[in-house]
Amino acid sequence: MESTITTYNIERNDIGNAGTVASLTKRALKRQGLSREFVKTVTIGVYEAEINVVIHSYGGEVTVEKADDYIEIIFKDVGPGIESIENAMTEGWSTASKYAIENGFGAGMGLPNIKAVSDEMDLHSSKEGTTLRIRFYITEDCYER
Amino acid sequence: MNVKSIINNHHFTLINNETNLDNKINKLFASDLMSHVMGFAETEDCLVTVLNNINVLGVASLLDFTGVIFSHGVKVNDSIIQKANELDIPLIQTKLTTVEVINELHKLGE
Ligand SMILES: Nc1ncnc2c1ncn2[C@@H]1O[C@H](COP(=O)(O)OP(=O)(O)OP(=O)(O)O)[C@@H](O)[C@H]1O
Ligand SMILES: [Mg+2]
Repeated sequence: MESTITTYNIERNDIGNAGTVASLTKRALKRQGLSREFVKTVTIGVYEAEINVVIHSYGGEVTVEKADDYIEIIFKDVGPGIESIENAMTEGWSTASKYAIENGFGAGMGLPNIKAVSDEMDLHSSKEGTTLRIRFYITEDCYER
Repeated sequence: MNVKSIINNHHFTLINNETNLDNKINKLFASDLMSHVMGFAETEDCLVTVLNNINVLGVASLLDFTGVIFSHGVKVNDSIIQKANELDIPLIQTKLTTVEVINELHKLGE
C-alpha cells in the first residue's frame, strides 16, 4: 500500500494561477497510467473546487492524497464560508463577484459538477472557513489498457 | 474536421503557432461559462467562445481541446497567445458570431 500526499496553497483572487492544482494532478495521474476518462473526471472536480477557493474565499490550502485505490483531495479555506450549503449545491445558484463573472465563472454549476464526478463529497462550512473533501475510487478499470 | 480545414475558410484566421493543426476535432462546443464547459464538453472538442481570458486556456488544456475559436471578433491579448503556444493549442479568430461559426463549420461536416 503506497500513499503520497502533496499540499498546495491557493491565493485569493489569483485567477492567473487558478487551475494549477488541477493541472499538476492531471499530469501526475496520467504518468501513473490512469485512463484519460478517469483523469478527466478527477481534473473536473479539482478544477471546480480550486476555482471556488480562488474566487469565493480568502484563500486556502489543498491536500492531495493518492493511494492505490483512491485519490482524495481536501480543500480548506479561511472564510467567509457558505451561508446555505443547500443553496450552494443547487444548479444555477451563485454569489460570484463581478470580477469572477468577467472571467467566465458564476454559472452556479461548479459544486453540482463536483458532486456529479466524485464518488464521495462532503462540504462543511462556517464563517471561519469551508472544507470540501472529494474522493475518487481507483479500480482496475481506471487504468489505460 | 480539423483546425486546418477550419482555417482554410476565409472567415477564420489562426493567430498563434502552427501546431496540432491536423488533430481531429471531436465536435464544436460553444459556451462562455467555464463550468458549463467543464461539465458538458468532451475531450478533443474545439471550443467556440467570446470569453477572451487566460482561464479559457486553462480549461482547454485540462480537457485536451483541439483548439479554441474566438468569435464576434473579440480581441485576444498577447498573454493568451503566448500561453497557447506553450500548450500547443491552436487559436482561431473570426468576426463571425458564435451562431454563424456553427453554421459555417457545419458545412465542413465531420
Ligand atoms: N470555498 C467557498 N467559500 C465560500 N463560498 C463558496 C465556496 N465555494 C462555493 N461557495 C458558494 O457556493 C456558490 C455555488 O458554488 P458553485 O461552484 O456551484 O458556483 P459558482 O462558483 O458561483 O459558479 P461556477 O462554479 O459555475 O463558475 C458560490 O456562488 C458561493 O456563494
Ligand atoms: Mg464554482
